Amino acid sequence: MATETAVPASGGGIGLTTREKKILKDPLWDNNPITFQILGVCSALAVTVQMQTAVVMSMALTTVVAGSGLIISSLREYIPSKIRIIVQLTVIASLVIVVDQVLKAYLFNISKQLSVFVGLIITNCIVMGRAEGFAMSNPPREAFLDGLANGVGYSLILLAVATVREILGNGSWFGIRIVPEFLYAHGYVNNGLMVLAPGAFIIVGLLIWAQRTIMGVEKHD
Amino acid sequence: MSEAPKTWLERMKEKAKTPKAAYTFGFAAIICIVCSLVVSSAATLLKQRQDRNVRIDQQKNILGAVGLSAETPEAIEALYAKRIEKLSVTDAKLDLYVRSDDGQPAAYAFPIKGKGLWSTLYGFLALEPDGDTIKGISFYKHGETPGLGAEIEKEWFKNNFVGKKCIADDGSLASITLVKGKVKDVIAPLLQKHFVDGISGATVTSRGVTALLRSGLEQYAPFFKTLQKEKR
Repeated sequence: MATETAVPASGGGIGLTTREKKILKDPLWDNNPITFQILGVCSALAVTVQMQTAVVMSMALTTVVAGSGLIISSLREYIPSKIRIIVQLTVIASLVIVVDQVLKAYLFNISKQLSVFVGLIITNCIVMGRAEGFAMSNPPREAFLDGLANGVGYSLILLAVATVREILGNGSWFGIRIVPEFLYAHGYVNNGLMVLAPGAFIIVGLLIWAQRTIMGVEKHD
Repeated sequence: MSEAPKTWLERMKEKAKTPKAAYTFGFAAIICIVCSLVVSSAATLLKQRQDRNVRIDQQKNILGAVGLSAETPEAIEALYAKRIEKLSVTDAKLDLYVRSDDGQPAAYAFPIKGKGLWSTLYGFLALEPDGDTIKGISFYKHGETPGLGAEIEKEWFKNNFVGKKCIADDGSLASITLVKGKVKDVIAPLLQKHFVDGISGATVTSRGVTALLRSGLEQYAPFFKTLQKEKR
């Protein structure tokens, strides 16, 4: 909105610079990791049958992206470039394991439902992408904000997909019944496609379409 | 190097620009040690809590199968300790969980497992002391499709089993079979007690449940036979 060309050095205070605001804002819409960069789609399909699992997965991923951005950026001047990818991966994998352990200890039932998908955050392209593409070349504060924003951008899409899938596929939202009983009594049936992965594919596809139409993105070729 | 770098960190930064093999190895080693310390301390610190969660989950499912329920973890532990006794039965030393009401056995629960569509299903089946009537069933671990196969853990599905009979009129094992559609439409009235409604859209999971019920009941049949003899 404001002049984005002016890039003042990041101050130590709580106030955000223009550049930091841009870092925070971009991944939410203009450069959304799922709908614009088409990254992390796999887990967006897998954990969006219900809102509850989608929320926990979103928080887990956001924690990992922000945390790994902060750590990797702090280390960036010490990491030998030849082994930088494996170092990034080690940091990310450790964070993911810690998050997984915490979920098992404090949110046991949800962690049971998420099963392998928390562990698979390690292979989520958003995390590696932000580490290599941003944290390696930017200071820790910005890398942390960038991770946070990308996590939130991912979360927004997950929650949107989960909302549609749970309401259409299960007639509920956060486990609370939305579709009233008398509709079922009159022959309304939940949409079985929505609880399967193809249902999520269709919704993600529609979201991408909607976003590109609104933004007016041109064809690639 | 005309100007000697001041601090240890600054010297490291210098070295990282054109790293020698020793620096690279050293850095990798430090990262590995730090990360493994973090991971192993997280696992160790949280282990007690995680083990308790697994134990309580199991107890909750055994209680569910024998028709008891409690909400909070503390209540589950207390109720389990008070009402459930674990035994080892038959020559194969199989686990059996007995619900007692005022010292009298009121239900017998045992673990069941078998293949569904995507995953192995784990649960508990409970019979009444007659060794024939189903007291209840529960599933605590599976990877079936939410909304379809995963309906096995829902109340409506589990309630269908309560009161069904697994022994045929001639004394042989009839087990419990899941049917496609509604039992009352497709099974003769006299036999309906051995059948429950399957899950539409989850044929393979339903078939898997039928198979695991039969194998579980066959495994524990010797115990329930002796139980009935003792009664007479």
